[in-house]
Amino acid sequence: MKGFTHFISGIAVASFFPQAVHMASQEQSFILCLGGIFGIMPDTLDFKFARYFHKSDFEIRPDPANLDARIIAEGVAQAINKAIKEGRGTVQLHTMQLASNRWRSYTLGFDSASSEVVVEIGPEVDTGQIPFEGTELKDPARASARVKVDCEFFQQFDKKSQIAIMTGPCFEFVKRETGKVEIVFLPWHRTWSHSFTLGLLIALIVGLFTWFMVPEGPNPELYSVPRWLLYPLIILFGSMVHIIEDSTGFMGNNLFYPFTKDRTNGLGLMSAAEAIPNFLFVWTSIIAIMYNLDRFRWAPEATPPGIENPVTFFTWFYLLPLAVMAYFFFKGKKEKAAKKEAPGKVDFDAQTSVERETDASVI
Amino acid sequence: MAFLEHLLHPQYLDLFYFSALGVLFSCLISFLPALHIYNVIGIFLLVILKFEATMAPMQLISLCIGMIVGYSILNTVPATYFGPGDESLSYYILPSADWLAKGRGYESIILTGVGALGGIIMLAIMAPLFLLFLPGLKTITSPHMFWIIGAVISYMVLSEWPKGISQSDSCWANFFEGWKFLGVGLITFFLSGLLGFIVMAKTMVPVDFAFQSITPVFVGLFAIPWLITNIINIGSIPKQHESPSMELDWELVVRGTFGGFLGGFFAAYVPIVTAGVGGLMAGHATAQRDGRLFVMSYGTCKTVYYVGSFLLFFIPGLSLTRGGLAWIVTPVVTVLTMKEYVLFVGLMLFSAGLAFLMLMPFTRLCIRMVEKFPYHWVSVIALILVVPGVYSFTGWGGMAIMTVATGIGLLPVMFQARRMNLMGVLLLPVCLNMAGYGNDVLRFLGLI
Repeated sequence: MKGFTHFISGIAVASFFPQAVHMASQEQSFILCLGGIFGIMPDTLDFKFARYFHKSDFEIRPDPANLDARIIAEGVAQAINKAIKEGRGTVQLHTMQLASNRWRSYTLGFDSASSEVVVEIGPEVDTGQIPFEGTELKDPARASARVKVDCEFFQQFDKKSQIAIMTGPCFEFVKRETGKVEIVFLPWHRTWSHSFTLGLLIALIVGLFTWFMVPEGPNPELYSVPRWLLYPLIILFGSMVHIIEDSTGFMGNNLFYPFTKDRTNGLGLMSAAEAIPNFLFVWTSIIAIMYNLDRFRWAPEATPPGIENPVTFFTWFYLLPLAVMAYFFFKGKKEKAAKKEAPGKVDFDAQTSVERETDASVI
Repeated sequence: MAFLEHLLHPQYLDLFYFSALGVLFSCLISFLPALHIYNVIGIFLLVILKFEATMAPMQLISLCIGMIVGYSILNTVPATYFGPGDESLSYYILPSADWLAKGRGYESIILTGVGALGGIIMLAIMAPLFLLFLPGLKTITSPHMFWIIGAVISYMVLSEWPKGISQSDSCWANFFEGWKFLGVGLITFFLSGLLGFIVMAKTMVPVDFAFQSITPVFVGLFAIPWLITNIINIGSIPKQHESPSMELDWELVVRGTFGGFLGGFFAAYVPIVTAGVGGLMAGHATAQRDGRLFVMSYGTCKTVYYVGSFLLFFIPGLSLTRGGLAWIVTPVVTVLTMKEYVLFVGLMLFSAGLAFLMLMPFTRLCIRMVEKFPYHWVSVIALILVVPGVYSFTGWGGMAIMTVATGIGLLPVMFQARRMNLMGVLLLPVCLNMAGYGNDVLRFLGLI
């Protein structure tokens, strides 16, 4: 899901605590923002920290002056061979920047039918990935290569990865009990940062501090949760909602790190880059926030409600938009399925659902 | 029918004349290089108010409707070719500059215009519904506005991702390379916030022009860095292609208008949030990735922001004063009834139609200008006009503020960080003031 979706979902979760809403309206507290901040935190940890400290066994830096697809393919094959021998192997592929707005592109694919690593050198592109005409490699022997590895492999997708601008992708190869090697895209993403255990740990640490430092607020008899506990709970539920939302996609999370080693697959219900699922979560959050702010308003007997009839509110502002979104979502799915079935229309070069979920521009 | 009968009554036809005049004035205003609309309208109204005796309040308002609608649609043209005047525009200008460099500036402007027209139509459709749900929305959100702005700030800061492309063997070298951009973004946000506190607490602008105190800040933060970049980077722009037709489908129009409307309405409703910030959030909320969708959605967003914030002021019994123009006309408007609201919607639609018709010839005129005069010199002339302009209204005090603001405004340009961080100049002080912490900050800074 998009960062904004996680952010607003975190705020929505925080708004379910009446005391947090009262603190915001009566004490000018920013506590509701805490839910949003921890809603986006798992991706912040991955894309601003974890990615830099992940060490790969092999780094491939193609030389733009001496381009050869075989060198790249052999480098990737080496990492797979390491996985066959030692259980795991990782490879980081780097981009080739030629000028401030000029890059040499190449693609990497894994042909599971023939157990081959497939690399093709593409044209030079600008930062918008628009190719420059006539920049394709002329020598076919150097422009593409297939290198066979001594094992079968499998992955969640069978499409090519386009490596062109900014930072290139990283792959991990893991030998499974069946003897096959699994190809894991971006092994540093959605691991420890996207686990229930980390959310719980941070909540415990924060709870320890707040237990000592946060005094009981006014009118404690109104609330079932003491004020000191409010902060860790909002942090915990804020990060949980991120993990739950990500689990609806394809890539999944490593839910109980360090007790579980690998990511579990997502439910595959929707892709992170899809507009309607993202907006569904955003709209649901907005409706929940509005409803909670209104029902938890301070002194309800003295203040008129903003929502006079909740049934009318939910019907017009939630069920109706939900029906419209459902119509367009399933219509789009149907059209996509029809396109897939049409012969000769397979888009082998398009990004996969998994790739789109991990594109930094998506989050 | 009753609505049309009401609108076409001869007693209101003069209002259409003033709206049309406003649209024409907006062309001129759009041409004033790199200045914020509200400041320009403020000066303009100072002149116009001298005719107060001969102009009825509704005529003045019609003029303002024409100006703001015309400006929100037409300003894309000079902003694309000569540089943006504020943050709402600079958000659009980055992708638009890319289109311009490919000779597709015309296409980008027309797409934005279609989006803007879609935004006005959406506003007209929503106008009766605003009467139903905005009072409730206001009741719910009023006590919470400060943390909503706080949430906007948090998201703006957290949603900037590293851009580093370092391929070093050292993890730390890669980390620092990536964080260089994020660090500059954070520094920019807090420095501009600090500047905002200083300007709001101790303005150095002469009292007579106190309403212009934010002008040197905006010129320094947004306009001058853009002009300097143009002067340094661009010698000329490639030949601009004026395509006779455009590839558009309903899905693109609906998605662009819908996303843009959400962002524009959010920006219009929440104080201090601009179209750029609203557009960013709506773009993320609706997962926009297509370049054409972004450009069109931006057109809707900025129009809904500029016009919508003015429209909110006219909702009877709501007293929602959002956006600079609503504040400017407050002394003129005494009573707001349903009649004024209906007239507003009618004049808005009329002005939008007129402005859209002017969009294509106006764009062609600008293209001729940049083709005739070297682009480099257009920016130099704009810079030469802006600096004395700021001096004449704000004196040496304003020049000092502008110089400091320019220094801060150049940071994101030099390090390719988000320019939106410069909105810290308003977001940070207003958010903290609304939460009641403003005086504590001022005391800490030794400003009170």
